[in-house]
Amino acid sequence: MKRYELIVIGAGPAGLSAAIEAARAGMQTIVFDENAKPGGQLFKQIHKFFGSKEHKAKIRGYDIGDDLLREAEALGVKVVLNATVVGIYEGKEITVMIGDGITHYKGDAVIVATGASENMVTFPGWTLPGVIGAGAAQTMMNLHGIKPGHRVLMLGTGNVGLVVSYQLLQAGCEVVCLVDAAKRVGGYGVHASKVTRTGVPFYLGHTIKAIEGDGKVEKVTIAALDDTWAFIEGSDMTFEVDTVCLAVGLSPMSQLTKTAGCDMMANVPVTNGYGETSVPGIYAAGDVSGIEEASSAMIEGRIAGADAAYQAGYLTEVAFKTIVEANEASLDQLRQGMFGPDERGKVQTTTDEGIALSTTLLEKGYLAENEIGYFPGVETRQKGIYPVIECTQNIPCNPCQDACVKGCISIGDKITSLPVVGENIDCTGCGLCVASCSGQSIFLIEEKAEENIAYVSMPYEFLPLPERGDRGLALNRSGEVVCETEIIKLRSSKAMDKTNILTIKVPLDMAMKARFFKPLTEGGAKNA
Amino acid sequence: MRLNEHPILGTFEKGDLVTFEFDGKAMEGYEGEPIAVALRAAGVMTHRHTMKNNTPRGIFCAIGRCTDCVMIVDNKPNIRTCVTPLVAGMKVQTQYGVTADADAKA
Repeated sequence: MKRYELIVIGAGPAGLSAAIEAARAGMQTIVFDENAKPGGQLFKQIHKFFGSKEHKAKIRGYDIGDDLLREAEALGVKVVLNATVVGIYEGKEITVMIGDGITHYKGDAVIVATGASENMVTFPGWTLPGVIGAGAAQTMMNLHGIKPGHRVLMLGTGNVGLVVSYQLLQAGCEVVCLVDAAKRVGGYGVHASKVTRTGVPFYLGHTIKAIEGDGKVEKVTIAALDDTWAFIEGSDMTFEVDTVCLAVGLSPMSQLTKTAGCDMMANVPVTNGYGETSVPGIYAAGDVSGIEEASSAMIEGRIAGADAAYQAGYLTEVAFKTIVEANEASLDQLRQGMFGPDERGKVQTTTDEGIALSTTLLEKGYLAENEIGYFPGVETRQKGIYPVIECTQNIPCNPCQDACVKGCISIGDKITSLPVVGENIDCTGCGLCVASCSGQSIFLIEEKAEENIAYVSMPYEFLPLPERGDRGLALNRSGEVVCETEIIKLRSSKAMDKTNILTIKVPLDMAMKARFFKPLTEGGAKNA
Repeated sequence: MRLNEHPILGTFEKGDLVTFEFDGKAMEGYEGEPIAVALRAAGVMTHRHTMKNNTPRGIFCAIGRCTDCVMIVDNKPNIRTCVTPLVAGMKVQTQYGVTADADAKA
């Protein structure tokens, strides 16, 4: 039996962060992960993260994963892959399956950072090949470079359902619709908007009735639900698809903490403020201790790693408290806003600023044109070029404020506040705010009244990239075609990190309508 | 099905293009990618048939948790093809119950 001062189970964002923090303090640390590659789900997360600079906002998930791996390696953390921890016993002894053999290890402290697994729902046909988890779609597209299917229906409008739908579009799949039994979109409005404006419909208050096919998914029928969750007769809609993605929530993979004898509340181990469970020296960090997201998992990991190091005598009380206080403040920021843990299950009607929340955004996935003017990021009819920030929910995110060197955008110290665009601003049209917005909700507008036209610049992350002079259709926020348009320019730079900025020319009265560009000839030929 | 170019990820690094055997037929895939990915690229959706009801199953979770994608690989049953890397010359078979025999009764 081999002994380590700290054993971390799981090399995802929480586990790696815990190992980094403990190893930095001097602890001899080993990490086991059942996968062939470390990083957990980070390497599948190709979108830019929310939060502020310290939460690695506007950095894509896989780059954050690379940073964590480099840091862990530099600190001498040993990461053992293809190693499944199958048991945890008294005295913090664990059994690890590597290949067909079992090895025993003993830790002075053990941090369980096993993450979560996807939930599923059952309906006739749910076992047919072609019904997959949204995470499976992400794994196939973003890790292995293969489309899960050609025509996909997504069940679930939480952030996973929304983000994966967008990624399916980026991979060149057709998303026929998003469906959710709830009457309101579950995830961030900005994530929903970037899907709806491409023309994908949302069916809220609907769910899947049945999937049919000969040995594989061929068609799916959805229907509307009444207030007792029964199907409403005559509301059936059938779509021909080859893939159905389920994004119906995540559950902590807490089996190890349970077998270790940790006190559990439902399927979540009870932890103190530092992630320690009821069994001294056994910690839980990240999604296993309650579903959140990767940014908070990294902070929870750091706190647990610091506590393990402190208890082992590697950190002084002062050093420990400094680390914990900084991380707690950072975590608290991420937990604020209308999607924070304290707000779950509550029906909200206004923003912190007292502005009525967009009901079309919540019920259909896009902002209605008449609602936009109420938000502080929208200050129209300015001279020259100016940003229009269609950010209307209090979510923890502020890179746009830092992106603008001219100080046109302000959020303030509270990172969940809505961004404010001033009047008579000195916007140069550089586009860095557009590219920095993780929610892709910033557009640049330049009205040319004398020519009766306007230029609209938008974030664009699809292939093939259009070129100057290309013609196409302008779509509005709900994905409807509003006019014909022409590409004026396309900008990309290292600082924009693969968010291209596309400028289109539209009639003046379309300046506040046109929000997406669709080429006249259907794209995606490169990935047929 | 394969993505030659991705707007964010660019191109995908793959191992050598190799041949393997699926239910007696020669098939191509990239060495090191999960067996399930090579099969999906070749249009194979069914990985196994269940023991009791003989219903087809394919990829579901793609991260080695659900065991829906298990197959017989090099004569060993219950191999999770979504997390098992493809090796040149591998013999991959559809699994019926726990055997490779479609007519076997459990």
